[in-house]
Amino acid sequence: MNILVAEDEIIMLKTIELRLKKDGHNVITCQDGREAMRKFEEFLPDLIITDMMMPFLSGLEIISEVKKRGGKKIPIIVLSAMGQENVVLEAFQLGADDYMTKPFSPNELSVRVKRYTPNEASV
Amino acid sequence: MPGLQFSVLLKIDSYTLMRVMLIFIIILGLLFICTLVFFIYKKRINAKIKSWEDQVSLVVSTAVFNLDEEFNEIISKNANKLKNHRFRQYLINEIILARKSLSGSASENIKMLYENLGLNNDSFKKLHNKKWHIKAKGVQELAIMEQTKYVKQIFRLTNNKSELVRNESQCALVSFYGFSGLRFLGVTTYTLSEWQQIQLLNKLHDVKPRNFDIIKKWLQSPNESVVNFSLRLATFYNRFDVYPDVMDCLSNTSLQVKLNTLNYLKRIPREDTAGKLVDDYSYENKSYKLAIINALNDIGNEEQIAFLLKQLHHSDNDIKLAAAKSLSHLHPLGIEFLKTHLFAHEDPWKTIFLQIENEHMI
Repeated sequence: MNILVAEDEIIMLKTIELRLKKDGHNVITCQDGREAMRKFEEFLPDLIITDMMMPFLSGLEIISEVKKRGGKKIPIIVLSAMGQENVVLEAFQLGADDYMTKPFSPNELSVRVKRYTPNEASV
Repeated sequence: MPGLQFSVLLKIDSYTLMRVMLIFIIILGLLFICTLVFFIYKKRINAKIKSWEDQVSLVVSTAVFNLDEEFNEIISKNANKLKNHRFRQYLINEIILARKSLSGSASENIKMLYENLGLNNDSFKKLHNKKWHIKAKGVQELAIMEQTKYVKQIFRLTNNKSELVRNESQCALVSFYGFSGLRFLGVTTYTLSEWQQIQLLNKLHDVKPRNFDIIKKWLQSPNESVVNFSLRLATFYNRFDVYPDVMDCLSNTSLQVKLNTLNYLKRIPREDTAGKLVDDYSYENKSYKLAIINALNDIGNEEQIAFLLKQLHHSDNDIKLAAAKSLSHLHPLGIEFLKTHLFAHEDPWKTIFLQIENEHMI
């Protein structure tokens, strides 16, 4: 599965990338919202994982742009900090499918991603 | 002669002008060189950090998944860099960021990485630094990385003259030991700021207290802020068992202590609490008097009606209004009582009563 990961903290980005690559996914990474949108159009990923707070375009703006640009069926997992409940609700209203609150376990993220993997989802 | 004077003046002026221009050009040149040097220096530092960024993210992310072979390889590659104290500090900063964002085994593996690379010693050394901000940073790093073995040194800093060092150390102890970490309250001589009290309460949010009896000692502390914080703790944990000790705080002369006592009593009253509050009404402070009358609204009964009726004739209109509100709540006739009052048609009572009626309608 092609997964686009947008996260501005480099260590988190690498950690998520490493975890998802271990699961056999093809991971495309970016550190800001603008780059995320560029890579979205270039690669048309099967799943998007995005942090909420990012330079240039926030996670909310990414969700709304993805949905506008024909990505209605692409599942989106949102990564948010503690105490951002309102933002998470807004993300769901815009079309996000799942969320994880920091601090989170990369293993848990891996399990959640499996739900959107075609073969796993049908089981 | 005047013509000669003019030409001399002209000569001097153009010469001075030349000198001024030369000085100006030299200054500009120097400024340009300084900017250039700074720009190159900044660029080199950024390039260095960028190169570190990739290596550090690789070190941390492999450590997160406990990939021993890859990790050892990366560490041996970066052995020289790990001797550089700037690189080590950069690594600590990134490890701390990662620790805040990850949980479970990933978080534990990051802690192991921090310890295995001896970065805890770097943080510990900061505790002995003369600069307060470095000291505070050291405490914060040790707290986030759960380095409980340094608890003795951190405990000593809970009464440091720097507020930030004190705050970080106190928060560190509560992070380590929850409620038991508050034992610094017994020795602290400095004021706990309102912000610090909120921080500590926030850290205690999901913590169940053990040995709550110790709070009785803190309620008698000579440090007023400790008494205030203890009252907040008693309210926060709904502790009925410390009621007599809290009641003793009503005799404290500090307004803030009295108001915090009132907050506790409003939340955890006994049958005779309202009467005791009325007895303490003589304390000469308007905010306190208003707080008592407002508290009666919640915990009072018919026994306080006479007292409240008396307050309706207080010289201060705010007290009249508060008393009328509580009366409309406690009086057997409820809000209708206001209409039957002898002065219901005279100002300021007429206006006050109308306001309460309007509030009830809303």
